[in-house]
Amino acid sequence: MARYLRNRIGQSLLLLLGVSVIGFALMHLAPGGPLAVYTLNPTVTAQDIERVKHQFGLDQPVYVQYVKWAFGLVTGHWGYSFFGGRPVGSIVLERIPATLELMGSSLALALIVGVASGILAAVRRNTIIDYATATAAMLALSLPTFWFGLLGIYVFAQTLGWLPAGGIASTGGGGLLDRLLHLLLPMLVLAFVLVAQWSRYTRSAMLEILTQDYMRTARAKGLGPARVLLGHGLRAALVPLVTLAGLQLPLLVGGALVTETVFSWPGMGLLFVNALGMRDYPVLMAILMVGALVVVLGNLLADIIVALIDPRIKLTHV
Amino acid sequence: MMVTGPALGRRHLLAGGAAILTLGNARVGRAAGAASQCVLGVTQEAVNFNPLLYVNTGVETSVEYIVFDAPWQIGPDGNFFPNLAAEIPTRANGGISADGRTWTVKLNPAVRWHDGTPFSSADVAFTLDTIMNPKVAVRSRNGHDHVASYDTPDPQTIRIQLKDNFAPYLVSWQKTSIIPKHILGGVADINTAPFNTAPIGTGPFKFKERVAGSYISFEPNTAYHRGAPKLTSLIQKYVPDQQTLYAQFQTGEVDIYDLQGIPPLLYSRAKKLPGSRILLSPSPFVEFIYFNCGKPQFKDKAVRKAIYMAIDKKGWIDAVYYGVPQPTLSYLPPNHWAYNKSLKDPGYNPAQAAAMLDAAGWKVGSDGVRAKDGVRLAFTMSTTAGNKSREQAQQLVQQNLKKINVEMTIKNMPASVVWGDYTVKSEFDTLMVGWDPLLYPDPDYTDRIASNLIPAKGGSGSNYVQYENAEIDALCAKGTATLEQAERKPIYDRIQEILLDDMPFAPIFAYELVIGVKDRVHGYEVNPYTPINSWNTGAWSVG
Repeated sequence: MARYLRNRIGQSLLLLLGVSVIGFALMHLAPGGPLAVYTLNPTVTAQDIERVKHQFGLDQPVYVQYVKWAFGLVTGHWGYSFFGGRPVGSIVLERIPATLELMGSSLALALIVGVASGILAAVRRNTIIDYATATAAMLALSLPTFWFGLLGIYVFAQTLGWLPAGGIASTGGGGLLDRLLHLLLPMLVLAFVLVAQWSRYTRSAMLEILTQDYMRTARAKGLGPARVLLGHGLRAALVPLVTLAGLQLPLLVGGALVTETVFSWPGMGLLFVNALGMRDYPVLMAILMVGALVVVLGNLLADIIVALIDPRIKLTHV
Repeated sequence: MMVTGPALGRRHLLAGGAAILTLGNARVGRAAGAASQCVLGVTQEAVNFNPLLYVNTGVETSVEYIVFDAPWQIGPDGNFFPNLAAEIPTRANGGISADGRTWTVKLNPAVRWHDGTPFSSADVAFTLDTIMNPKVAVRSRNGHDHVASYDTPDPQTIRIQLKDNFAPYLVSWQKTSIIPKHILGGVADINTAPFNTAPIGTGPFKFKERVAGSYISFEPNTAYHRGAPKLTSLIQKYVPDQQTLYAQFQTGEVDIYDLQGIPPLLYSRAKKLPGSRILLSPSPFVEFIYFNCGKPQFKDKAVRKAIYMAIDKKGWIDAVYYGVPQPTLSYLPPNHWAYNKSLKDPGYNPAQAAAMLDAAGWKVGSDGVRAKDGVRLAFTMSTTAGNKSREQAQQLVQQNLKKINVEMTIKNMPASVVWGDYTVKSEFDTLMVGWDPLLYPDPDYTDRIASNLIPAKGGSGSNYVQYENAEIDALCAKGTATLEQAERKPIYDRIQEILLDDMPFAPIFAYELVIGVKDRVHGYEVNPYTPINSWNTGAWSVG
């Protein structure tokens, strides 16, 4: 186990290095850059743009910029935003609580509802329940989230006036109830799409298991249907679901680009959209690296948990 | 929320019932006890509050106006009035020397910084030092590169010596907010100073806090030299999505929908919102088609003029912008004092446009597209991808041009691409863009039209269309060297006349923004000379 972990961590560091090189290169090779915002500002002359370019160090070769940035990263200096000059570390870290709140609650909701409806659809397959969940899942997966978001705002905020139209809390702060009211709509919209994924995965995993011999054996032993289904069935179906959870873990810090924009949720997704629009390289690189780190961690965690719940899998191979 | 009008159907009654049922939480978006709080809604986020460094005009200008002051301001009538200065310098009051090159600005002794420190001429000199400091990434030098030297004879006076006569210099100072020497004077790197996100100014409101991705709050500066503001709290709230901001304006979570305004699509609906007034705010921005005169298709002005004539500008304004913006024939909005009222609109006339192209030797080829000497009259038009209105407008123009056998291809790209080197190095064929003059409201347009300011040819201006005309060069120089408005008017009339005839860029309309203001807000006034209407927040009140 220890050797396995050592190897995996070593691999992950190499992977992160690769991500940083490719990410940095792609960002700088792509046409355009942070100075376009200056061009678009009519009070800025071409002379001003040249001056600012030099100030940002953008007139240096890309590899020099990379080495400077990478050296800063490992020594704890993540650089400064081109727009406002704030340290990148605090710009990125301050967005994590909001994203955790939204993504954590919607992932949890999706997990519960999705797994439950998936089991139900598998057990009652080819009934009206199965068809209804399948239709709902298809609907959720095929319609864009911004559409659900705008529809939700139109119905519950503009027409009915029950819920606020976006934001994380009332301006100037608010109590717990106020925060929950703000959370409800974006959480439901996000969860709707995630539920669909969980429901579909659970259904197919359960279907495979329901026909297994050991399920029949369990029933033959005289166990109740709940014990059979949850104790024997779901336990075996967990392996693909844990892998899915590992894949979705990065959402917890990555946020949701569209939903956060529609609901003006001040999380990582909104920060990323804005930083990308302005090509704020230091901020984009920081988000990329944090995201990559969580992806690597999520996968590692999923592999370990799968080994723990499935005794057939041993973590000796790399 | 209540339905008005005679046709109260069952559906309306149901909606009314729902409204009554939820009356308890109808004000869900407003924190309790904030009776005198005003929420300004914007779709972009202000991140840099240093008035010299920020680059996002509009949303960041709003913070500048709220927290900082410039020596003088410009009112909605186009007249300057003193702010940090005791009076506007003129030749009559001795503030400007007879030769126009020495400016003496007397400052208001009552001004204090938000931390209580007295404001003085040392701060103004420090602001000039910072603007000219090559290590500071200031957005624009705003015309201060015409300054030869400056000194501070006493704490209430700054004297500036200009290299040459420069009429827009009055605007330079209107656009230059003063930063505090006692805070920034000792900072090693102003680009990354904490001040940039926690500013201290002299303005009507003090910066209180910024919650990233959500809002910025301000509290009144009760010691303001022009009188304490009436509001107890001012919030600039960031809502990235236009539809969501509109919903928040409707529900009362925001009081003012400003910046780019309510989308014209929603204009007629917005006018019917109860408890609100919808204002049309003329803006300095003019929408153009920019021709790259360096490309073989556009070297001949007959081509550019024929294209202008073949475009249905009225159809464009009506179909895409619901008739809101004002047509213009110049780089200035039609309400500007220097606008040449005798300009003649060549009108929408495809037949005559086709005849002009025939006469200039552009004959229709076998592929249905005109060509001359092996050059096809085909080009791309670029703008920011995803801008719905512009995309619709491009399709209209494409249809218009097809009728005169000109082939236009839409080539839109993300903002960071199209406005990068693609624009600056004149790599485009044509652009669809909205821009205002460098030191608006001064009518000077040298930066965009003088032949020595083409970046693609090594110049240092913004003449991206690569326009060259010796008469224009001379007129531009004369225009900025002439100080009296009455003497400048004929110069700018002539410049606009030549530009309409040479057509290096095709002016379409001057933007008018649709601003939504709740009836509870008083004192809000649109100002066509500022990029956002937060110029008089000290006079705003609610109730």
